[in-house]
Amino acid sequence: MNPFEKIFNYQVISRLDETGSFALTSQERSWLRTMLEHSASAEAFDSGTLNRLRQLLVDEASTDIREIIVEKAKSRERQVYHPLLRVLRRIIMRREGIRLTYRIKHGGVKTNQSGLPYKLEYSMVKREWYLLWYNTRQHALMSTKLQNVVAVEELEIAADRANVIKDEIVDLLDKRKEQAVIEVNRTYNAELSRILYSFSCFEKTVSYDEESNLYRIHVTCQSDESEFLLSKVRFLGLRVKIVEGEHLKRRMRESAAKALGRYGVGD
Amino acid sequence: MARESFDKEIQFLRLLSLAGGAYSRQQFAARLGISVHTYDKTLRYLKEMMSTHQQRLPLEQGVELSEGLRYNHYESADPLLLFLFRAKSLKESESVRLSIILGALQGEELTAKETLDRCNETMPVDYPCPDEKTVRGDLKYLEEVGVIIRCAGGRPYRYKAANDLIDQLSDEELMDLYDYVDVMANTQVPSVQGYLLRDTLKKALRKRDYNPDVADTHLYKYHYHSRILDEAHLYTIFRAIRQRKKLRFLYLSPKRAKSYASQNTNPLFERETEGITETLLPLRVVYDHQYGRWYLVGHNARQGTMKFRMEGLTQIEEGESVPEEEFVQKLDKIEEQMKYSWVTDTLRPLKVAVRFYNPDRSGANFVRERVEAQGQWGTITEESDTTFLFEITVNGIYEIKPWLRSFGSSCEVLEPAWLRKEFIAEWKEIQGYYESIRENI
Repeated sequence: MNPFEKIFNYQVISRLDETGSFALTSQERSWLRTMLEHSASAEAFDSGTLNRLRQLLVDEASTDIREIIVEKAKSRERQVYHPLLRVLRRIIMRREGIRLTYRIKHGGVKTNQSGLPYKLEYSMVKREWYLLWYNTRQHALMSTKLQNVVAVEELEIAADRANVIKDEIVDLLDKRKEQAVIEVNRTYNAELSRILYSFSCFEKTVSYDEESNLYRIHVTCQSDESEFLLSKVRFLGLRVKIVEGEHLKRRMRESAAKALGRYGVGD
Repeated sequence: MARESFDKEIQFLRLLSLAGGAYSRQQFAARLGISVHTYDKTLRYLKEMMSTHQQRLPLEQGVELSEGLRYNHYESADPLLLFLFRAKSLKESESVRLSIILGALQGEELTAKETLDRCNETMPVDYPCPDEKTVRGDLKYLEEVGVIIRCAGGRPYRYKAANDLIDQLSDEELMDLYDYVDVMANTQVPSVQGYLLRDTLKKALRKRDYNPDVADTHLYKYHYHSRILDEAHLYTIFRAIRQRKKLRFLYLSPKRAKSYASQNTNPLFERETEGITETLLPLRVVYDHQYGRWYLVGHNARQGTMKFRMEGLTQIEEGESVPEEEFVQKLDKIEEQMKYSWVTDTLRPLKVAVRFYNPDRSGANFVRERVEAQGQWGTITEESDTTFLFEITVNGIYEIKPWLRSFGSSCEVLEPAWLRKEFIAEWKEIQGYYESIRENI
């Protein structure tokens, strides 16, 4: 297998697109065959479809490259698929609304909340699925674990109403954006690669001042992501320092003081 | 024939995606060890490829490549770096020919002769019409990579595109398949073939008159996008491991300032490169979920067990093979050594004991949830209403330490005593980082 086959070449692909032709290679089919062995496939397809897919792929080589791969420091996979994905993705595609009943964080159940779903989001850290939706009564963006959904039904929504809500979602997402600037402690510039990898899961840019040999990482994230950003900063310890973002700086100071308190070291 | 190496493109894209925007042309070129001219040329090529590949993406995704690759999580789950795998160079005439042949075989079964006739009918005037030998060669290649199949029956053989995976599925089934491929490519490794397949299925959905944004219902949060660059080496390593062959490569430590060494074609003028040439019997690759990075682990005659970051591997070549017994023995040894590796560390195992504090607020216990999900083989013991203990035997503390520290004040190190002291010292220093803001309050 060679992922650099000439059939994958961008000019070939773009020419095939012009005539609506497809090129499906055996390495892609082998990959699929391997992936269908994952238990998630049972939740992703009707059993008839799954059987047909297996039948279609029966002649493909099953060279399982995964036998040489050792995955480390992975969060336990709570779920790869969730039965509601298929239902909800179709509602989102049809641009329809939902009536949702779900369990909430601190116990209790919210019943019959109406809204417009806009994305299904998988957290690579928590390893589970969330429904992102707009609650029409509260005019708020919601994120609900699929695990916590008790019931969902489709609710018809007029196309122009849906469009208005879509615009509002874009506005709200924009308003929730926060900026933080994280500076790399020069002493650790040799570890720059590791530090940049660490922040590569965020939307970010990097600036470098050659004179002072100083790197700064400009991170943009949603306000509800600040806890995760802080855990990344703590992960790197002395290597980085938040230089812009008052709330984040305060939280780091609190965290350090409280941590020292745990060791009986007061200030 | 020498295999085309994509070392330069890989390092180039990695630097763009990790340090996007940080460097001027000169600085960027210096870091890659190439001239500014080569920088410009490579960037031009990547841009052309990217714009061809991404032409149907919404405008917001029209990322300005020279400013680095920026991901807007809320737009799409399209892997921007995938276009690396579209970089195999090809003569213009060959790309025209291959796509005409494949286009002709989409709906019908044709013999080599008939295919040749089609080429002659549809080949644009600027390109020469191929002869029969060339077309037969192309058919052979297309059959080898599996995009066409030879139909049942005797000579003359008839060929058709291998599109059953799409053609045999109903609209609903095709959508389920697209979703599955999307989810698995994003959440599992390896993923490059999955992303390539996802591209094709996306086009198939569009051909069935689905709205283009039908393929954009899923998002993946906190993804390490650059991980797919390292998959470029994965199959070379896989093949070598399968054949028990050694690998020789030039290793450029990511800790060095330069991350690519141009290869001089005339060995007389070859200058000392900054990297080290290594020979290694490859045994396993490790994917580290904490950073989205890959490692190659293997055995070297002089130094024993060795680990390399895959991003530092360049100019990889296969060497001689070793006897099966030797391979098995080395593999067993490494598996034993890595039993307690948080990631790849093979230092002496030691016991680490920590106390975790449950959050003050009622409701979900996110500390406990995270320790249960990420604590690997460590064990949890109940201690009190507000705390629990976590114990783990691990090779050295370097790799687990950042994870423990990321819990902030929810984690108190108990053992070893020296690690406890280190944590106290570090927290004091970190407190020092933010001392000044207290006065502002």
